[in-house]
Amino acid sequence: MSNKKRTTISTVIVLVFGFILFYIGTDGFQAYTAETVRTNALIENSPKFPEVTLEDSKKRTYPFSEFEGKYVFITFIYTACSDVCPQLEVNVAEVYKNIPEKFIGEDIVFLSISFDPKRDTPEVLEKYRSYFNSDGETWRMARINDQEELDSLLNQFGVIVIPDEQGDFQHNSAFYLVNPEGYLTDVLDFTETDEAVEKVTEILEKEAGDTQ
Amino acid sequence: MKQAKYGLILLLFLMVPPVIELSESIMSIHMHMQMPLLGIAGMLMVPYFKEKFPRFFEKWNANGIPGILLFMIIIIYWLFPRTMDEALTVPYVEVFKFISWPFLAGVPLRDSWGKLSERAKGIFLIVIGIIYTGMGFLYLFAEDQLCNNYLVIEQRALGWGFLFIALSILLYYAQDKLIDHSKYE
Repeated sequence: MSNKKRTTISTVIVLVFGFILFYIGTDGFQAYTAETVRTNALIENSPKFPEVTLEDSKKRTYPFSEFEGKYVFITFIYTACSDVCPQLEVNVAEVYKNIPEKFIGEDIVFLSISFDPKRDTPEVLEKYRSYFNSDGETWRMARINDQEELDSLLNQFGVIVIPDEQGDFQHNSAFYLVNPEGYLTDVLDFTETDEAVEKVTEILEKEAGDTQ
Repeated sequence: MKQAKYGLILLLFLMVPPVIELSESIMSIHMHMQMPLLGIAGMLMVPYFKEKFPRFFEKWNANGIPGILLFMIIIIYWLFPRTMDEALTVPYVEVFKFISWPFLAGVPLRDSWGKLSERAKGIFLIVIGIIYTGMGFLYLFAEDQLCNNYLVIEQRALGWGFLFIALSILLYYAQDKLIDHSKYE
């Protein structure tokens, strides 16, 4: 066999190896970031929302099971955040506005959970809520005071929060949809509000159709 | 042979746990120092491999193309934001990093470079320059965090690093094309 032939063979082997490496490394050209891997795994495992006690901007405290029987559209925020959270909440407002009104409060509740309970007191949340035209009722903002409960929730929903030196947090963001039974059913890209509206409306309409 | 020894020492040094910890704590150092240094460790070991297996490289990488393709595949694989995260969280990905950079990127690069034609070298430099420019813009302008283990600010720094490397490569290519080498020989 000539070296030329051998080199052709090794080129083919290298290309096949590269294809396999990329295929395995990206779950079949699906997931290029660890975040996608995380969301895919979450949707597959659909963890149950742990029993936590929320304190909302109206100073009411209640367990998460308060929302039983309704879908809950959840985001994780902290109000001192200056980069991604305001955008995240603007996008929630966009979704909130575009979901048919008949479902709001009846079949779906919006909930923004702060992971910075020390600073995000009900007063702070009340103020923050007004920036996004949240009514505090069908779209609530709440904190979880018990650090253990908060950590277990963040952990189960794969929310990674890294505190930095300036008292800020670096965190991943998404829309989380919890079903009426309290299980996570979907994790949506928070930058694609149209897609989220479409998906959530479809789920709600299907649910409404089933119960009639 | 001295070179191969230095290569091995460099590789072992990079594998010391505190060194790993330090070199992975900052995103830019992880991508733009640790990984290339692993590649360099492999490059230094080439004389040893050539002495041990003199026919292997001659036979299977005669024109340098398979080697340079392998090099490209490995560096592109390590450009995925996911692989950077997984190197930190999944042990076998970390092990693969310490094997792939020296032996599947460094070794073939050095063996191939001398064998490549001027044209192939030019294409290679331009392709790498374009990829790095693209990665630079991706990391600079991505709104969200691409790697869960690193801050967005580090991501931006990494983006600038990519642009700087891309610019350096393209400048090198341009001067190589524009300068009349015969004047200096």
